[in-house]
Amino acid sequence: MNTRRDILRIGASVLGLDLPRLLASEGPAKNCIIYFQEGGACQHDSFDPKPEQPSEIRGSFGTIPTAIPGVHFSELLPNCAKNLKKFTVIRSMYSKEAIHEKAKQYIFSGSRPNNAFKHPVYGSVVAKELGPRNGLPPFVCIPRRDICADAGFLGAAYDPFITGDPGAKQFKVQDLSLPRNVSLEESAARTRLLQAMDADLREMEKSKLLEGMDHFYQKAFDLVTSESARKAFNIEEEPASLRDRYGRNTAGQGTLLARRLIESGVRLAAVFQGGYDSHGQVEKSSRKIFPVFDQAFATLLEDLEDRGLLASTLVLVIGEFGRTPHINHSAGRDHWPGVFSVAVAGAGVPGGQVIGSSDAQGGAPKDRPLSIEDLGATIYKKMGIEPHKEYRSNGRPVKMNDSGVPIRELF
Amino acid sequence: MTGHIVWLGFMGLGCVQAATLPVEISFERDVLSLLTTKGCNSSACHGSPAGQNGFKLSLYGADAAADHEMITAKHNGRRVDLKAPENSLLLRKPTLAIAHGGGHLLSKNTDEYQTLLQWLQQGAKLRSSGPRILSIDITPRELILKPGATVQLRVSGKLSDGTTIDLTRQVRYAVNDEGVVTVSAAGLASAKGRGLTVVMARGTGKTATAQFIVAEGARPGGRAQTWRSAPLDASVFAKLEEVGIAPYPRSSDRVFVRRVFLDLIGVLPTAAETERFVNDSEPNKRAALIDALLERPEYATHWLVKFEDWFRNSQYYSQGRTNYAFKRWLYEAVRADKPYNQTVREMLTATGDTTVHPAGNFWHPAIDFMLKTFEVSKATPTVTRLFLGQRIECAECHNHPLENLTQDDFYGMAAFLGRMKVKHGYAQYRRTWYNTREGEVIHPNTKQPVAPRFLDGTTPEIGDRDRREVLADWILGEQKLQFAKATVNRIWAEYFGAGIVEPADDFRSTNMPSHPALLETLARAFVENGYRFKPLHRLILNSQVYQLASRAPGRANGGDPLERTLLARYEPRKLPAEVLLDALGQVTGVAQSFNNYPEGTTAKDLVATIGSTYFLTTFGHPRRDTMEPRSTAPSLAQALHLMNAEAIREKVESPKNVLAALLEDTVDDRAVANALYLRALSRPPAEQEWANIEAFLAAEKQAGRTRRRAFENVLWALLNTREFQLNQ
Repeated sequence: MNTRRDILRIGASVLGLDLPRLLASEGPAKNCIIYFQEGGACQHDSFDPKPEQPSEIRGSFGTIPTAIPGVHFSELLPNCAKNLKKFTVIRSMYSKEAIHEKAKQYIFSGSRPNNAFKHPVYGSVVAKELGPRNGLPPFVCIPRRDICADAGFLGAAYDPFITGDPGAKQFKVQDLSLPRNVSLEESAARTRLLQAMDADLREMEKSKLLEGMDHFYQKAFDLVTSESARKAFNIEEEPASLRDRYGRNTAGQGTLLARRLIESGVRLAAVFQGGYDSHGQVEKSSRKIFPVFDQAFATLLEDLEDRGLLASTLVLVIGEFGRTPHINHSAGRDHWPGVFSVAVAGAGVPGGQVIGSSDAQGGAPKDRPLSIEDLGATIYKKMGIEPHKEYRSNGRPVKMNDSGVPIRELF
Repeated sequence: MTGHIVWLGFMGLGCVQAATLPVEISFERDVLSLLTTKGCNSSACHGSPAGQNGFKLSLYGADAAADHEMITAKHNGRRVDLKAPENSLLLRKPTLAIAHGGGHLLSKNTDEYQTLLQWLQQGAKLRSSGPRILSIDITPRELILKPGATVQLRVSGKLSDGTTIDLTRQVRYAVNDEGVVTVSAAGLASAKGRGLTVVMARGTGKTATAQFIVAEGARPGGRAQTWRSAPLDASVFAKLEEVGIAPYPRSSDRVFVRRVFLDLIGVLPTAAETERFVNDSEPNKRAALIDALLERPEYATHWLVKFEDWFRNSQYYSQGRTNYAFKRWLYEAVRADKPYNQTVREMLTATGDTTVHPAGNFWHPAIDFMLKTFEVSKATPTVTRLFLGQRIECAECHNHPLENLTQDDFYGMAAFLGRMKVKHGYAQYRRTWYNTREGEVIHPNTKQPVAPRFLDGTTPEIGDRDRREVLADWILGEQKLQFAKATVNRIWAEYFGAGIVEPADDFRSTNMPSHPALLETLARAFVENGYRFKPLHRLILNSQVYQLASRAPGRANGGDPLERTLLARYEPRKLPAEVLLDALGQVTGVAQSFNNYPEGTTAKDLVATIGSTYFLTTFGHPRRDTMEPRSTAPSLAQALHLMNAEAIREKVESPKNVLAALLEDTVDDRAVANALYLRALSRPPAEQEWANIEAFLAAEKQAGRTRRRAFENVLWALLNTREFQLNQ
């Protein structure tokens, strides 16, 4: 039989957690929330408007002043504009991938995809390096598992936990609560039967596989019966007024859930908002998606600040690339890794800055070009993870972040 | 011969002599090996892709010419001073005459210092007139030791003049697991703790490998018994005997019947099938069962999924348009047991519209989806990894650190695919493959076109032929034994959870097979049987090795990694996602239904699988977007899903499920429990297990739950047992 000590040890090995490393890893950021603009957001219609350009470049929207004199955002982001003192915009980020899958994997992991092995994404590395807290899964994706959210060579143990859509009327986290007609008492009874049924096998079989299965079953029982875990996922407990402020939609409620989760113990929560891939009718789609983002992101910053969580929570707004400077024949914009904007806040990131700039048309970095690797090194440094730490993928040494330099303006 | 005197000098027999004798120091043989033993060109130092402080060397001296240029010419030749050799940075840095980030590595009064100095005095030439080292060799290659034992390793180099020299002290040793064996700089190996490890010797860009096994009960050389059984067993059991590990006993009939059903056809035996087999008194009933299962239709549907994994049949690449055509094509090949070399040839040389000629789907993962172009750099490593078991993708960007595999080799292989083109037709998804008469692959460094060249360095006569046919001829002809080894090793890994070479598609001189003779036997049998899979399955499944128990009283039962590597027992594995989902349907009597598929569709029949069900994704069904094997790891999401998912609840509670008929027909609770156990675990509950269930049923009654509800909970518990989720 496994003793409790064994189980702790197994837990440590499966989830990559050990105490000295845990203590050493406390960087300024204890948590991280990533807002992912899935499909590639249009820099012109958001953080990097080009009002002086002709309409086929400028697009359909005007600009508004922000809290920082001289800095303008698109008129679609009034709440962000008002809150710019709380965050920093990078206008000179660039990618080297123009296909969604690869570009997403690139910016969600900080390492360019290659043909030899699959790099784990930030959340998986955080899960491995920092481990779970308060019995909650360390890496959570809201509302679904995006194609890029993959632990790669670290293995399924570090894949994200998926919540489902918190914007749905009857939101219930996938598999987290008991089936609706099973009481806690009944569940406890049949769980005891299950343990008895497994007793012989568990007593004899000593393989790592069985240790791992046992470990996750134990975690699963703990989660299901834990009051605090249920509370963490129960968005209904939030005041209606706050839920309204975030926006009653998948992204808005997802962002609120992300805050709730990092508050309860999740280390990295990623919210995916789709709809940015506007190859046609970019005006129409921008008008639809940016206000949702504007509301959710600005409310998140205010909410985190109100709760005193902003100082310990790194918040990022990223997408896989930007969009073409020229509007195409379908009144849309296509994929553009040349330059795009990223927003960063919290965890000691000074607010009110604009880092770098794009050229006149918004097609290439003009100054301070920043790579995705640089962003990755920044995230790891903020989270207290050694960016150049080496892992092994089938014996090949792989650095978590190969060539990035932490972005100095963010420290 | 004069060069050899320096080697004596190296070994401490008189460095002064060496320094004063008119011998020529060889850059490649002497200087590079020195840089390797000192660690200068390791990946942690100047051998890293970026070098250190502008001084960059090739990893372990793989590229002598580049290293020579770096040392003697780069940065205005500042590292060498031929007029005053002793002032050269090359000597002043490692002796710490001036600051050196790598610290003090060399003292003036050593042989090594004298060698470097002499090389500089002689003009720091790249080419000496002396012989070059062609390869290095380590002895012994395989060794079994008791803890505490020591053995002196010998490393020798084969020279281009046909002679051999001793390099024991001129190489750098690396051990995979230093808890098993340590090796001193002088090549003295000391056995530490139980286990298997590989020792590598590196020098002058060459590598040699030896395998060490350390075990308390080792009886080196003591192969007392002659195993007269099947050839597979002989090589496994003889090695076990030498290491002093007894194989586990033969599995029981009940364990075996469940195991072979799940492994070979991916379904559970029914209660009737189990009982018939267990009660059969024919001595050769296992062989008969294997034969019968090979003829069942589920054989093809089950193995088809594995081939789809290998060949990455996925809507990720084909957007669903031709997945079905490719799946059908592969299904037909598996069902008819078409010779695999023929299947591979058809894929390698495929042309035409992939809806009509589905073999061309093989190339779809190498299409750049946005640019709609074929990328040879993606296709080349796929071909070598699948059909030769060789991973060359690293050499796309850099020379392989462990093998003599260079970027030139990569692009030489890529050139065979350099004239393939793809045309996107109607709705962009209809694809047609064709060959052009010109077009060359361009080397990224030299920017020059690369001529087709095989991995072994030979250049074929191509003439007017399709280059892909020439490549297929080579893989399936000259390289057929390697092709067979790569293939049988993959099949072996399906049965044993690890290849004889592991990872199963990573054959290289530095990754030795655990059982070389076994691999050879399987590969030769595969060739002799016309590259058909059914005889291979028969050979493996009828072996004693496959039929061993996974547990026995008083044994390590999974706690000893060495037993696993040496195949002392059958290693329990999680059921693959599709098999588990179908088994849940089988046990409960409520088959999974899939959107847009007719009733009776199994999880293995699905065509567009990405996002098809949460279950399959969660339990490890791969997206097939990389060449990595599917994940077999347990996870939190898996446990939560089996415990709480609505889909599981529906199966357990369905009024039409297995319990409906069972409870109606059977008043005896024990008989119901027996039937459920037989369905899920192919065995009745043991006495103690029945006692537990009986007590549970009584308590449920006390709690006010019906007999049906109580058995629903028994069924739920059974489906959540580790035993149900394992093949063991």
